[in-house]
Amino acid sequence: MGPMINRSLDKGFHLIGILMMGLIFCFLIAPIAVTTIMAFDARSYLGPLPPPSFSFRWFQRFFSDDYFLKGLGTSVELACTSVVVTLCVGIATAFAVERTEFIGKEALISLFLSPLIVPPVVTGFALLLFLSQYGVINGFARLLCGHIIITLPYTIRATLAGLAGIDRTLIEAALSLGASEREAFWDVTLPLARTGIISGAIFAFAVSMDDVSVSIMLTDARTYTLPIALISSMRANFDLSIAAASVMLMVLTLVLIVILEKSVGLNRAIGEGVFRQQELQ
Amino acid sequence: MTSHHRFVPLLLPAVIIFLSLFFLPLVGLLIESFRVFTPGSIGSSAGAAFTLSNYTELLTPAFAEFLLETMRVSLFASIIGLVFAFPLAYWIARRFSPGLRAIVVSAFVTLMFLSILVRTYALELTFGAAGPLRPILLSLGIFPNGHGYIEILVGAGLLHYIVPMATLTLLGAIQNVDPRLFDAAQVLGAPGWKAHLSITVPLCMRGLLAAFLFAFTFSISAFVIPMILGKGRVLFISNLIYNRFSEIADYPSGAAISIVLFVFALSIVYVLSRQVHRRWAQ
Repeated sequence: MGPMINRSLDKGFHLIGILMMGLIFCFLIAPIAVTTIMAFDARSYLGPLPPPSFSFRWFQRFFSDDYFLKGLGTSVELACTSVVVTLCVGIATAFAVERTEFIGKEALISLFLSPLIVPPVVTGFALLLFLSQYGVINGFARLLCGHIIITLPYTIRATLAGLAGIDRTLIEAALSLGASEREAFWDVTLPLARTGIISGAIFAFAVSMDDVSVSIMLTDARTYTLPIALISSMRANFDLSIAAASVMLMVLTLVLIVILEKSVGLNRAIGEGVFRQQELQ
Repeated sequence: MTSHHRFVPLLLPAVIIFLSLFFLPLVGLLIESFRVFTPGSIGSSAGAAFTLSNYTELLTPAFAEFLLETMRVSLFASIIGLVFAFPLAYWIARRFSPGLRAIVVSAFVTLMFLSILVRTYALELTFGAAGPLRPILLSLGIFPNGHGYIEILVGAGLLHYIVPMATLTLLGAIQNVDPRLFDAAQVLGAPGWKAHLSITVPLCMRGLLAAFLFAFTFSISAFVIPMILGKGRVLFISNLIYNRFSEIADYPSGAAISIVLFVFALSIVYVLSRQVHRRWAQ
């Protein structure tokens, strides 16, 4: 009698498990599917699903709206500048940390990573107070300060992981064969740390493109990012060109994931940072 | 220890950036939180007197309500997220073929990477008051503009990130559990559910704690999700900070709330990660 009861209970749990799985897959996929379908809706108003016909009108509308385009331009410029700056700083930091022994090294690294555990709104608000106190009023400069401080931990962590994976004997071999430190760095270290550098750049770019909590504090009437532009028109009216923008941002995410998979490998990238990626957004 | 010290200057750029864009602003925030605020002005005036009132005014039931709402929704979303993520991770690790596993893992990484803003907008479009579910909700007697439904919606927004994140975190933990332990328990007569509860779950405790830590800290500092899905009816602490800044320019009060959130988030990280390390050390 006993084992039979056990087995039927197991069957019940199995069934519940399958149901839960189905439910959660639907929950995760449905919003993405609905948004994608709505973005191609040919109607000029928000009607019930499914749309009777499809068109690109919302995409055209997005690209004919100067407000969105200006935000997109600022976002791309900001993300690229932040990636370049934080990648250079990140590589220098990781290299120095890797090649030097000093007391408090671990503490210094956790200090460098600490912006990840501070709520971004707090970081943004602190920066807002600080920058206005010192009279930094240029919108782009303010946003750049914010984006540098939220992306730098990612590039530092990823390049550290990339450099830590290098076999030290390869660099020593280059040095003993007559290469200068500089040549060894450019010809041996950097190429070997490639995967860490690429994943750092991709994380930093994605974080910068997506940020709202810090940017919303630092933006002004003339300088704003795409997410800020989208949010303010989201509150104003439920316009489907936001759905079109969302579809394009989803495609961007997919492209970044494919680059990550092809150049680094997703499993490795996960180890180097995705997990703790939003450690605390 | 000798010649290697010449690399130390390479640390300078990072040190300067962290000092000037992170530590000094946080110190400034702390100081601002003790300043007197004169209504009508923007922030505290230079050299304003010091006061504790920005903190004491947070001891009111109104603020406690915001704090509790943030905690409640975050806690529910984190626990429900783990309840779904654990069996999901178990299936992906143990039941799926390697090919299918690779596809599902890539899909989950993509879901995790998805812009928070896109995710939130998509949820509002699908489950929100004007979405395709409206007639179904109304026929069930649920008002999509009611406080209860909005709170659930905010929780759902958090869940949409927590589930893929926790599943990926737990995947590694489950793969590290020797499947023969579970088989042994079953051979010895334990039913499957009991074997899981007494073998798989305890052995994954470290992963579960880590996933909970990520989920809960992500939730309590969430900003965009409650801002859009909450529609001003459900406010998290982050939204309160932003409102103090954007609506009344009361920087000292915003700073005090920021300090509270900061201390709160850091203590949770500290307590939970100590637990994780302690269990790991065993």
